Amino acid sequence: MKVLLSTFGKDDFEKVVQAMRRLPYERLVLVGDAKAIESKSLAKIRGLEEMSGHEVADELVPEDGFMEIVDAISEILDRHSRDGRGKRNEIVMNISGGNKLLGDAALFAAFRSGTETYHCDEKLTKLPVLRGLTAKDRFTPSQVRFITQMDEPSVPFDRMVESISPGNRQPVERVMRELRKSGMIETKVESGKIIISLSDAGAEVARAIRMT
Amino acid sequence: MVAVFGTLGYRPKSLIPTIRSTQDVDKVVFYCGADKYDPEAVKKVAEAKRSVLDYCRTMKIATDAVDLDDPFDFKRIAVRIRGDIKRHKREGKEVAVFNIAGGTRPTSSAALLACILEGVPTVYVHDLTYEEIHLPLLRIEYSQVLSVEERQILRTLLKNKSKSLTEVELAKLVGKHKATVNHHLKNLIAKGAVRLEKHPEDSRKKIVRLEESTELLLGDDD
Repeated sequence: MKVLLSTFGKDDFEKVVQAMRRLPYERLVLVGDAKAIESKSLAKIRGLEEMSGHEVADELVPEDGFMEIVDAISEILDRHSRDGRGKRNEIVMNISGGNKLLGDAALFAAFRSGTETYHCDEKLTKLPVLRGLTAKDRFTPSQVRFITQMDEPSVPFDRMVESISPGNRQPVERVMRELRKSGMIETKVESGKIIISLSDAGAEVARAIRMT
Repeated sequence: MVAVFGTLGYRPKSLIPTIRSTQDVDKVVFYCGADKYDPEAVKKVAEAKRSVLDYCRTMKIATDAVDLDDPFDFKRIAVRIRGDIKRHKREGKEVAVFNIAGGTRPTSSAALLACILEGVPTVYVHDLTYEEIHLPLLRIEYSQVLSVEERQILRTLLKNKSKSLTEVELAKLVGKHKATVNHHLKNLIAKGAVRLEKHPEDSRKKIVRLEESTELLLGDDD
């Protein structure tokens, strides 16, 4: 099923209608804050959809906190990408509705999840998100395993070896070096022991991997 | 040289905190623009621009205020900002941070897109508290998501974008067998980077087109 997911603000009737006309869909999902969900614009869009025998799915996201909104949109994208019968829905997202914070957070979430995304205003611009390529796809399986094992802000290297490859330090060391080089982790020595922590970018990857 | 980039709307307070919090700033580049048909917006943006210029002059920081002709033209703004970031990098200047809090919605989103593509540290400033929020951006490394052959095909299509290349013509240009190119094209279509169109004169042939978004992705001088 084709799902059109659009960010939405209380006065964005025209913007959403533009996206509805230009991006073919079977199910419409609107993402906005409480004011948008209760707005007359949304009621009008519901009316339009009812004419075709369909409902609008509305999804509430926080009004504040950039990364909180990113996480909320990522979760919504993930949920609507599953059709309940073990198949995947085809999702396209429009980020032109709602306020600046919501649009930017949606753009961020699109790159995180590899969702085909558009900015639909007077012109329709397809954004350079490669379809289906998530943050996870940019790392090797060993690197993904290492990152997801970082379940605390700081983890001793010895504990990582125990949980990833007991008794075999070399492959874990190699992955640690790769991730340090790419800026995903930071290391320091405390009382003769190597302590590993995720960088900000590494923490984002860990969050993205857990959500996708 | 350390440069701070930013987008500016009505509020200089959304940009100045980033200039203050960045060490040894030599230059501030900011993008602003208002709806030409809204005199109130034009006035407010001009006032904000003047405030930032005054602040930088007092602090002896060089400025480059970029007036956007159309602050709602998402693609044009993204291309412009990405080009400016690349130019700064080529000249050996460090883009310390990009503040995307100000300006119109398309301006802010276009700046965020350029930062993701160029791996520039990005901040948002809270509307009420003016607190800076650092975004944990990940640079898109295309070497990891596109194979060497796929990148070669995309570059060839970009160089020949004025032409209507068939699969056979494309295979000749990249010096590979048609079947090999066909395999890579299938992958690129699945990733949403290219599409096939019917040949206007020969229904057996297909023309390979680069998606508009791929041009944004590849940039102009990679």
